[in-house]
Amino acid sequence: MTEEPYRWLEAVANRREYVRDQLRGGSPAFAASLPEGILLLGVGGGQTKVFELFDRQALAGLGHPADIERIRQAAIDAAHTEAFTRAPEDVSLRRLVSFGLSPQLKTNFEQIFTAPFLIELLLAELGTAPANDSLIRLHFDGGFRQQHGGVMVVASQSETEAAAQAWLSRETAGLTQRAAVAELFLQAWWLLVENKPFGEALPPEAERRAGWRAAVLEKDRVVEIGWLARAGTRTARYEAVDRAGLGL
Amino acid sequence: MNAAPRMAGDFLSLLTAQKLAPLAAPSTNAPTETQATTVFAFHYADGVLMAGDRRATAGNLIVTDRVDKVLEIDATSLLAIAGVPATAFEMARVLQTSFEYYRRSQLQPLSLPAKVRAIARLLRENLPMTMQGVGVVVPLFAALDQSVTPAKPQIYFYDPLGAQFQAVGHVASGSGSGTIRSIMSFQEQYGTPPPSRMSLPEAVRFALRLLMVASEFDSATGGVNPANRSFATIKLLGPTGVSTVGDEQQAEWLAL
Repeated sequence: MTEEPYRWLEAVANRREYVRDQLRGGSPAFAASLPEGILLLGVGGGQTKVFELFDRQALAGLGHPADIERIRQAAIDAAHTEAFTRAPEDVSLRRLVSFGLSPQLKTNFEQIFTAPFLIELLLAELGTAPANDSLIRLHFDGGFRQQHGGVMVVASQSETEAAAQAWLSRETAGLTQRAAVAELFLQAWWLLVENKPFGEALPPEAERRAGWRAAVLEKDRVVEIGWLARAGTRTARYEAVDRAGLGL
Repeated sequence: MNAAPRMAGDFLSLLTAQKLAPLAAPSTNAPTETQATTVFAFHYADGVLMAGDRRATAGNLIVTDRVDKVLEIDATSLLAIAGVPATAFEMARVLQTSFEYYRRSQLQPLSLPAKVRAIARLLRENLPMTMQGVGVVVPLFAALDQSVTPAKPQIYFYDPLGAQFQAVGHVASGSGSGTIRSIMSFQEQYGTPPPSRMSLPEAVRFALRLLMVASEFDSATGGVNPANRSFATIKLLGPTGVSTVGDEQQAEWLAL
């Protein structure tokens, strides 16, 4: 009996290792808060990576398609029920994640006899200005981190994710055009999937540009771009944009 | 025993599962209800124009002259409400949430026939209130048929029990609808141009004049009065979706 807690701790640690191993090689996704809206981008190999959740909320991520779908559906159910019983303005990403998705993911992760969620997610909420935008990084174990504005990356490995986010934050500083930011996202995506360094040995820009194009075109991948527009008369602000629409 | 499985993407099933019933029947001892009146829609050269006056009445009282009775349900659907606003606005809210819920959860828009039937279903569920005379709603609906290229705007109307009909050229609902229908029918047969060939400025001017005439014969129709900046709610449905004709634009085209 006395060793049961230790077995549980070991099981959770094994479970964490298992999930990280399963997620290895997942295709990263990105989001950036810009003056005119929030840009989300992912590169899929047949599965959808970027989704609309509600009027001003969207999701991007990597992982098992069935698990992403379960979380996406739970978020959509909760958002629409909240909007109907209160008002669309009451749907907030902070509440959705901290009171809904995060506890569910944590409970599931710690129930060691059930299958864990194989996901890493990024959620975005449009505010009235970039400083009011919310970007939330949600992990498979329910842990999450929220930031207002800026750039956010979701990748399978935390070290490379942090390196990519630091590089993108520097490179996108001052950029306002979504096409220019999307180009940098795709370069960062190529660096991540090819396991290239973001530091001093960073490949030159020409190589990065050619690299992502070759990786997308030769392997028949699809670049998915979501845009949450700050200006507009309609309540639903999300639109899917294709690569050609941004001149990429 | 397991409950029946929830229909994928069906928001009403989600509400039922969470024991949140919209449009619950009220007491039969209801007070005099607020009502809304004249709305209409017709095909013009570039799509469908849907318009409504902005008056709500309760018996012989004017409650307000600032009601919007033409509502955007989603990017390609419009609903015009005639009848009891309390029920009609709730129906519109259910439809707005249902259509968007389906589109987001199923990653495809609801088809036009399904949208048309969703309204019929709400009207049938409202039957007890309709039979009690305290919740009658007779809406008009316009939406894009996206099964053809280019997408084609269509108009539908309903009876209070939920029967659905497609309008060929024009349709009207509410207490001022008799006047509107007569003028539109005359204009379609003998007018130059007929409504179906009108340009947008011509169609907007025609719609505003229809409401001005209807308000002369029906006290529950608010009409249009440029002198005190009182205009109509006018929305358009074209191949690319819904747009609104604001007060400034209405004033300009009415003065042409």
